[in-house]
Amino acid sequence: MATVKINGKEITTEDGTLILDAARQAGFEIPTFCYQARLSRLGSCRMCLVEIGGQKKLQPSCITPVLHGMEVFTENETVKSARSSMLEFLLANHPLDCPTCDKGGECELQDFVFKSGPRRSPFSEWKRRFHEKDEILSPIIVKNHNRCIHCERCARICDEVVGVSALGGIGRGAKTQETSFWNTTLDCDHCGNCIEVCPVGSFMSLPYRYKSRPWDLKEADTVCPYCATGCQITIGARNGEILRVRSKSATGINKETLCSRGRFGYHFMQSGKRLTKPMIKKGGKLIECSWDEALSAIKQRFGMGRKTAGIASARLTNEELFVFQKLVRDVFKTNNIDLDSRFANKWVTSAMVDICGFGEGGISIFDALKADTIFIIGSAISDENPITDYLIRTTASDKRKTLILAHPRRIKLNSSATISLKYKPANPGDVIKGIVNFIEKGKDKAEGDIDTAALRFKNASNITMFLGADILRLDNGVDVLKNIAVLKTLLKKAGKNINCLPLFDRCNQRGAINMGIHPLFLPGFKKTEEEGMDCGEILSAAKNGEIESLYVLGEDIVSMYPDAGFAKDAVSKVKFLVVQDTFLTETAKMADVVLPGATYAEKDGTFTNQEGRVQRVRKIISCVGDSKDDLSILDNIGGFGYKSAKDVFDDIKEEVPSYKDILFDALNNAGVLVNGQGAGVMSHESGVRSQRQEAIDDSEYPFQIITGNHLFHSGRLSQKAHVLVKLLAEPFVEISDEDAKELGLSDKEVVIVKSKEYEAALKLRMVKGSQKGVAFIPENFDSVSVNLFYKKGKGIPKVKIIKQ
Amino acid sequence: MLSTQAIENIKKAIAKYPRKKSASMDALMIAQKECGHLTEDILLEIAHLLEMPPVQLNQVAAFYTMYNKRPVGKYHIQVCTNISCSLLGSEHIFQFFSKMLGIKKGETTSDKKFTLSEVECLGSCGTAPMMQINDDYYENLTEAKIEEILKTLK
Amino acid sequence: MEPVLLKNINTPDSHRIDVYIKNGGYQALPAALKMQTDALIQMVKDSGLRGRGGAGFSTGLKWSFITKDATIPKYLCCNADEGEPGTFKDRAIIEKDPHQLIEGMIIACYAIGAHAAYIYIRGEFDFGARRLEQAISEAHQKGYLGKNILNSSFNCHIYVHRGAGAYICGEETALIESIEGKRGQPRIKPPFPAQVGLFAKPTVINNVETLACIPHIVNKGPRWFASIGPEKSPGPKIVGVSGHVKNPGLYELPMGTPLREVIFTHAGGIRDGRKFKAAIPGGVSAPMLTEKDLDTTMDFDGMAAKGTMLGSAGVIVMDDTTCIVKVAMRTMGFFRHESCGKCTPCREGTDWTYKVLHRIEHGQGKDGDVELLEKLCGNIFGRTFCPLGDGAVMALRGALKNFRNEFEYHVKKKRCMV
Repeated sequence: MATVKINGKEITTEDGTLILDAARQAGFEIPTFCYQARLSRLGSCRMCLVEIGGQKKLQPSCITPVLHGMEVFTENETVKSARSSMLEFLLANHPLDCPTCDKGGECELQDFVFKSGPRRSPFSEWKRRFHEKDEILSPIIVKNHNRCIHCERCARICDEVVGVSALGGIGRGAKTQETSFWNTTLDCDHCGNCIEVCPVGSFMSLPYRYKSRPWDLKEADTVCPYCATGCQITIGARNGEILRVRSKSATGINKETLCSRGRFGYHFMQSGKRLTKPMIKKGGKLIECSWDEALSAIKQRFGMGRKTAGIASARLTNEELFVFQKLVRDVFKTNNIDLDSRFANKWVTSAMVDICGFGEGGISIFDALKADTIFIIGSAISDENPITDYLIRTTASDKRKTLILAHPRRIKLNSSATISLKYKPANPGDVIKGIVNFIEKGKDKAEGDIDTAALRFKNASNITMFLGADILRLDNGVDVLKNIAVLKTLLKKAGKNINCLPLFDRCNQRGAINMGIHPLFLPGFKKTEEEGMDCGEILSAAKNGEIESLYVLGEDIVSMYPDAGFAKDAVSKVKFLVVQDTFLTETAKMADVVLPGATYAEKDGTFTNQEGRVQRVRKIISCVGDSKDDLSILDNIGGFGYKSAKDVFDDIKEEVPSYKDILFDALNNAGVLVNGQGAGVMSHESGVRSQRQEAIDDSEYPFQIITGNHLFHSGRLSQKAHVLVKLLAEPFVEISDEDAKELGLSDKEVVIVKSKEYEAALKLRMVKGSQKGVAFIPENFDSVSVNLFYKKGKGIPKVKIIKQ
Repeated sequence: MLSTQAIENIKKAIAKYPRKKSASMDALMIAQKECGHLTEDILLEIAHLLEMPPVQLNQVAAFYTMYNKRPVGKYHIQVCTNISCSLLGSEHIFQFFSKMLGIKKGETTSDKKFTLSEVECLGSCGTAPMMQINDDYYENLTEAKIEEILKTLK
Repeated sequence: MEPVLLKNINTPDSHRIDVYIKNGGYQALPAALKMQTDALIQMVKDSGLRGRGGAGFSTGLKWSFITKDATIPKYLCCNADEGEPGTFKDRAIIEKDPHQLIEGMIIACYAIGAHAAYIYIRGEFDFGARRLEQAISEAHQKGYLGKNILNSSFNCHIYVHRGAGAYICGEETALIESIEGKRGQPRIKPPFPAQVGLFAKPTVINNVETLACIPHIVNKGPRWFASIGPEKSPGPKIVGVSGHVKNPGLYELPMGTPLREVIFTHAGGIRDGRKFKAAIPGGVSAPMLTEKDLDTTMDFDGMAAKGTMLGSAGVIVMDDTTCIVKVAMRTMGFFRHESCGKCTPCREGTDWTYKVLHRIEHGQGKDGDVELLEKLCGNIFGRTFCPLGDGAVMALRGALKNFRNEFEYHVKKKRCMV
């Protein structure tokens, strides 16, 4: 510990603390531009210069650690004048076009000048200008370099956190421009983090351009509705219209970062195609009707008992899902309830709950990342959970740590991985078995990558495993998870500390499971008396005419279920189909009653992310047209009498012990991790059933399809967000460069992807380092519905790829 | 496209360092020697060879003054105008060139033979005024000497 | 004084290894390889050798900072980025006597336990770079470089890394960045290169002339070296004289030779019968001195006492026809051109100051301009990331201090007084 005096105030802080942080702890504000906590130190803007007793020169406090006995001055005349002179330098060539700058009102330069800057400038020379018109660098970035102050936050966040390295300072001295490789259109992750960290109006959001002034925006902190990382976002709306989403450097696990979906994926809420009125089928056609008519039709016609079922989306809030399962179980009297997510069978979801220890409470990602060895399997994490990818990348930059990344595709995070393991989509278990085998046999000489990985496990003391949602999709997912359980036990026995975290692709997947959206357990993992059917079983039963009433909440089964033909056929056999959604999806088109629900910005509630962190979702705009928030719709049908999300949350606390200590009103931006529930958690081990499907190689169809979300898309929702569509408008097929070369195919050429069941023409993307014999197609596009390749019960589809 | 010889030379440069990226400066110079100036495509090709993000390579290319981002003539006349040379009449030397070749600072003659540049100290102050044409130094310049030199540059 | 470093530069084929050997070269290397490294470092410390790049830090002390842990790779970098205007000494060694440098480098590598060294040579020295490559290959052939040098089991490789036009790369951490294949922007210190240097490994960076002194110290002993010149900064020193003198060129003199003797005895005095006006004693960063300071001795401490510095000992002499405002403008133009752009005060300050000087020089000065220049100097000095900005200010302050009247005249009369 070091005791230092800052402006006469004595404070004791840990050795190595930066003077800047120590001063802030002591309550003294020091302005900074180039300093950003999670980025590498630059020390270049010189705004934070302070005086240190006994030293002639002022020192930058953002790179100088405290030393015991140091005396620091941050507010004396010398320091103040240095600060003011730095601002004078930065303003000298600055265009001072605040009235037309989008940043005006929330510009750090403006703020600092207001606080400590010179009031007049003796600068009377010609100002350098890089360009007259703003430059458009991408569908999301518009750049005005004349305003740049060279803090390099944009380039550093792009390189160090996002892992793309798309930006850099081009030029020298005063002529340097932070820009893309050739100052031309960017081909990057389009995450907009460069915009977020820009302290001035140099990097700006194109969709938000000239739309508003910050003081005219109404802002609310809420949670991103896409993946289960659970990023905090701040939505800004003006006159009921959402104009932007941003992140804050002090908020949430994501801090200042978001991905393109999170930052630019909000337009679906105002797409114009939203459902605004309830609809009812009359004479084979859906026509708009009143809420009374729609709701009474449901109350009269929806059945009860085994021939009814409910399927919900994991994008809804805990409160809505809790009420939904109550409706299905208490009113419809059935345990036929399931989630849509990856259409996992009920055993594999149970196994995931077990192995990730949902019953033991949440695990903070930051604690998880303290591990010396991090293992990721079953997730194209860079696409699926981009901000988790960022967090792991920054952690893995510590070369003492081991990052083992197992996935068929080569993804962005591979460049940070110590060891990259590959497998065929159907066989992630082989990797695990290989590792187990090495450890069990007590080997210590590594032959090949799997052995090397195993050796790292052997030498580790603190391990975190991230298990991806790919596993949920596999027919043999249970076996894979069983193998992982064996490995976990083995390592535990060897005295290692192990954490397991899921990587989910829907924002409230963990919450939905907690809320009992599962045929085997009630809220809080209490076993049901009678086993219900999972999604696949419900559809099979429907196909046989055994499901008469089906309630689909927020999901487009027909588009997403692997085997579209089967799903459509099954749903068509349902006598009474209710779909509650925000858009007229393919499934909704088949419904007897369609209820217009609300998007996340139109309601209050909570999401529980993959860590088990419960966070508040806040209403910022009102529902469109006559649509209603989902909670009140469900409550009306069930007649429960809930008045608000908080009301429901009080019941959740009763039923789900791990939520017991959470105070709805006190939930702040940090969220709260769910507790362990102690004894009484059901173990699903007994119920684990193998449905193993061996993947047999087929020489005629040599590729196994792997599917999932693209970085710019999520489910089919993002298709309604026009900025995201602009970033990627059509699907593609991605294979390894080795395969492409063997087939004589080149990048971007259109190829035919053909299975026994279906064929599609797709643009080819070659990736160096992907597993051979694997073809990835994003699942987000209506134009080429990847689920048409699937055949129920046949496992992973096999295809061939041929020249068009 | 770089020639196989150039790629070979770049690979030799890579071997000097523990990290490929370190060869970026050598690689840019090798490419420039072959192509005259550096273009977007050449940079992409080199970045690929060195397995580095293209923007980071362009940072290097744009930072150092010896990399030509625009075409230069067959003979790149670089007159030092720093203090020692300036004291001994480098401005006059520069003007003389300008008049002889009919081009201004940074320009290239229409026959693409000469480009005239002003450069910072070349480390030859004891023999000022001086200049560099392509790789070679010419020192203790006078008008007469320049006329002689220009005659030899075909 | 008998020349030491420049002794052979006029010998025919002095760059050839056999000529070097014939003149006593590569005798220090076997002797050094027989010494304990600690003793070798002590020897360099005892010699009193201070870095010839400009900062004047004790070379032996610098070497002693490197860890003795043999499992950690270490590097030696030779700073041959000679770019300080007025300086042209290293080029002579590189082109005319490269083996002197290479022998010094091998010994230095041995002393600090490095097995690889890089010579960072400025890109414009194409001829020099080729000479070095040739010399390295000759040394390999003779077994002075490579594996198991002279059966000592010591391995050493030297590589030439060519710059491409950036003065800032003479700053040691920018030089490291440049070898790593990046823009030459200085790094945060600490950690110092001795702990985290090239490729994040312990690294020593020495100037060409510094390293060239090493074989002589090993051959003739530290006491011999320490006996030349003043006690606190001894040794032979190559002084480069340029500008308005009769005989510009390099002169190897004992440290501590008075500036007057350098200009008037060795360089033959002011040419064309003009009068001496001012001299920049150590490259353009060093504040200029006038008539009254001519008896200052050319060594680190002597120059420091007069508020200037020995720097690279590149003396630029100006006669009475020289317009100091123009010199100041040109100098600031140089720093502005070479500012890497990283830190605010240097990037913006040199740009602004140059624009003001440019105005004054071109007859558009305004009342208060001189005060503005002084204010700008104060806002840059001591606040920049690296010494480049300080150098720019020191040069301008030197001009303002001695010739303020010329600046004022320019501002008032819109023309030059000389």
